[in-house]
Amino acid sequence: MSRISGKNKQRVLGAYLILMALFLVLIFKVAWIQIVRADEYREKAVAQQTSDVPIEAKRGNITDRNGKELASSATCYSLWVWPSQIKEAYKKDAKIDEVAEKLAVVLNMNSKKIKKNLTADQPLVRIAKGLEKETAEKIRKLDLTGFQLAENTKRFYPSGNFASQLLGSVNDDGVGRTGVESMYDEYLSGVAGRWIKNTDINGNDLSYGEDEYYQAEDGLNVVLTIDEILQHYAENAIAKGMRKTKAKKIMMLVLDVKTGDVLAMATNPGFDPNNATEPDSKPERIAFNKMSDKKQSEYLSKMWRNPIVSDVYEPGSTWKLLTTSAALESGAINMNTTFFCNGSYVVPGANGEVLHCLGNHGTQSISKAVGNSCNPAQMKMAVAMGKKTYMDFLDMFGITTTTGIDLEAESGAIIQSDIGPVELCTMAYGQGIAITPIQLATAVAAIGNDGVLMQPRVVKKLTNSKGETVKTYETKEVRKVLSTKTANEMKEIMEYVVEEGGGGEAKIAGYRIGGKTGTADKAENGEYRGNTYSSFIGMAPMDDPRFVCSVVVDSPQGVRYGGLIAAPIAKDFMENALPYLNIAPSYSKSENKNLSSKYAYVPKVSGKKMSKAIQILEECGLKYEIVPEATDDEDFTVVDQYPKKGKKIKKGGTVYLYRE
Amino acid sequence: MRKDKLTFNRIKRGRFSGYSDFAVVILVTILVIFGVVMVFSASYYKSINVAGTPFAFFTRQVIYAVIGFVIMAICARIPYKTYMRLSIPIIVISLLLLFAVLTPLGESVGGASRMIRLGPISIMPGEVAKIAVIIFTAAFLSTDSKIILSFKDGVLPLIILMGTFGGLIIAQPNLSTAVTVCGIIAGIMFIAGLKWRYVIGALIAGGTGILGIITLGDKIGGSHWKKRLTSFWDPFEDALGEGYQVVQSLLALGSGGLFGMGLGNSIQKTLYLPEPQNDFILAIIGEELGFVGIMALFIVYMLLIWRCFHICLNAPDYFGMLLAGGITIMLTLQVILNVAVVTSCMPPTGIALPFISYGGNSLWIFMGSMGMLLNISKKSDKENRR
Repeated sequence: MSRISGKNKQRVLGAYLILMALFLVLIFKVAWIQIVRADEYREKAVAQQTSDVPIEAKRGNITDRNGKELASSATCYSLWVWPSQIKEAYKKDAKIDEVAEKLAVVLNMNSKKIKKNLTADQPLVRIAKGLEKETAEKIRKLDLTGFQLAENTKRFYPSGNFASQLLGSVNDDGVGRTGVESMYDEYLSGVAGRWIKNTDINGNDLSYGEDEYYQAEDGLNVVLTIDEILQHYAENAIAKGMRKTKAKKIMMLVLDVKTGDVLAMATNPGFDPNNATEPDSKPERIAFNKMSDKKQSEYLSKMWRNPIVSDVYEPGSTWKLLTTSAALESGAINMNTTFFCNGSYVVPGANGEVLHCLGNHGTQSISKAVGNSCNPAQMKMAVAMGKKTYMDFLDMFGITTTTGIDLEAESGAIIQSDIGPVELCTMAYGQGIAITPIQLATAVAAIGNDGVLMQPRVVKKLTNSKGETVKTYETKEVRKVLSTKTANEMKEIMEYVVEEGGGGEAKIAGYRIGGKTGTADKAENGEYRGNTYSSFIGMAPMDDPRFVCSVVVDSPQGVRYGGLIAAPIAKDFMENALPYLNIAPSYSKSENKNLSSKYAYVPKVSGKKMSKAIQILEECGLKYEIVPEATDDEDFTVVDQYPKKGKKIKKGGTVYLYRE
Repeated sequence: MRKDKLTFNRIKRGRFSGYSDFAVVILVTILVIFGVVMVFSASYYKSINVAGTPFAFFTRQVIYAVIGFVIMAICARIPYKTYMRLSIPIIVISLLLLFAVLTPLGESVGGASRMIRLGPISIMPGEVAKIAVIIFTAAFLSTDSKIILSFKDGVLPLIILMGTFGGLIIAQPNLSTAVTVCGIIAGIMFIAGLKWRYVIGALIAGGTGILGIITLGDKIGGSHWKKRLTSFWDPFEDALGEGYQVVQSLLALGSGGLFGMGLGNSIQKTLYLPEPQNDFILAIIGEELGFVGIMALFIVYMLLIWRCFHICLNAPDYFGMLLAGGITIMLTLQVILNVAVVTSCMPPTGIALPFISYGGNSLWIFMGSMGMLLNISKKSDKENRR
């Protein structure tokens, strides 16, 4: 047995020192990791350990002025996948194929596309969205690993193609695309919440660690000035007009003259905001699907556009209301001024240039001149006022600017830049000037509001999810344009036009209606091709005006005169709107005689079964319409009706039946 | 335990040098108990996921620890000179086990065949080999203290031993254990008085080998080795592949910072670190207890290592010194290698943290060898008292 030498002890100490030196180095390394670089590593750790789930805010509803829902948000589901978990749980390619196949059946999607998502090189992938509750349930029953169903909201427009350009639509992410949805997006959208929590590597929540939930703040409801019933009447009236006139487009705008509230704003053709990326009508949809991407996107932006505020048209003779108002207000003429027409007018200071009238009207009072839609009379007024005064009045009426309505993409008028005597005279009778429907309606509404111009608006107030008002938008007086005297004189003239002049087609027994018709050649790409804008602007009731109703028919086929094309459409609307607005008719004796046999009292049908209600209405000689439109023959209970029980309406009139 | 009782009795009997034994016992007990606690904390989430109960690893580790104390007590009573006589059978048995594990007897886990299952217990021949080479090398070199100076009689046989054991263990494959085994043999040779020229020669050879793999790795088809050798340099470069475990380990340590997230509060153990109770348990300790906790643990290790070296220096004879030295080197080397891996100072290899990491074989080998040290120390008391 050998002995331990001193050398051995040295070696033992040597080994000890070497090993301890290494140990010391490692201690420094640990300190370096845990103290110096701790924050960097911690950040990385937190990034992988926490899941930050956005909690979608519920988008606010859009309702009409009475709280009727025009757009609402419904709960739907989106399906997410963690590809790393799929890889772990199913391993084999064939298994993943099987999963994709199963999902493809439930989701009605391409299984290859699903598989691509399942095997994506991302931590979390969305496979599908906007799923109904039933579909979500089916997916849950498949009992697959690595998936998550997240709840979110889907926009729903209960009335479909209804005030579509006004309401607009939302895109796939639920952000407002056009219309009120876009204009009021910041209020409607609310504030998304977050759920930050620690999870294990598979995304399962831990019972400890960070878990912070920031509740989403729901969006506000936007209460419009629109009245759903009036909008309905407007939509129906222009739809009928479209069938009758074969026009390209018909627009109707109804403004409350006292407040500037837009009561109805309808354009046909519209679209279904529930499916805003396709035309609503079948033939259009087939044509649309054949278009190139670029053409499609052009088509869509045109379809979504609200022409009532965004597009200009030539007002034609409806414009004469503004010229006449200005002439009366400026004192250039008065109610006793007479106008002589021999079919043409020599423009003063224009080297003998002659402009023509459509008729040969002889000597006329001012009412007659407007009722005849006599061009020389208007030219004389403009000449009498002079260019400066006339232009000042256009400023006052808000024609040279925009109305400031709370809708996006509002256009202003196109007025010729260099106005000589001829331009002044043509403009006086509504040619060579282009304005938006909202501009003319706003200006004419001032006549009905004692000469005060109101700023038009579509939103009344914002309410929160509890229904409490959060913000009220006040009505806004812009300025007083006309004196009360001039306003009253203009009302008289407008009533005369309907009673005795060219607006006779808008006459409604028992009501005092005013208005003016117009027919203007339509400039298309800088030339006139024989198409017209046939328009009518009406007001009722003239003793105490409530609303103006403007109808613009773009390119009617066949007959073109505004009095024959646009006035009946306005009449169709006003016939329904006046009783709805509780404006009582007062009949002259001759009218009364015709009427008594023509009216019926509305029976009570709400609360009854649909089939029964229809039977009752038919017995009374009344028609019915079901809202929202019935898609199947199933019987259901009527929850509400309009008009209400006991109302007197014309025989053959329509009672609206509301279902769930 | 029994051992504690023995120690206490001895203190009562007034044996002054029993103090040394007592410190080792206390330090080992601290480490083992701390290990059981940390294994529970690190494993319970994984345990719920793989076994459905939080206690799967914990219960077994408690049983391993109890058995470990029994083994330590028994080893402390076996006169260490017995091992010298048994060194040949021991090395032969170890060698047979290493062959056996490569046959279908070996159980394959994750592509590596490292254990042989015998009923309820499993044997890891690689762990057994560590203690076997210590005993054999110590016995071989203590036949004649001059043998180490001869290349043919002393150095060459041990290089062959290294080659045989290293090669067999690499074949499992288990590179880290092979490195440890060779390191232990080399360490004992160093203590025994290996000539400096061999020491320097070995260092140069090792260095060139590693450098060769790094520079020529791609050309000689060793790109896998090169990748493993270099991945530790910047583990984040391949954070989802080769560097994954180390990256997760660094994130755990960094999350812990100075004071840690609190016992039980590790998040990295929730399946981010694949084997939180095993080789990377130090990362979880760092995450939960912080740098302060790790330092406390290191102090315990350093005290124990110092006591072990102390026993080695005071060993009663040459064999005792080499045996104690080999055991001490094994312990220290494994602590250092484990910390180095966890802190990304060297390529990730499977090395358990002594007394702490989950697993019976490793715990028993270390506790058994501590028992052997206690016996050497007891003998040296007697020598000194004589």
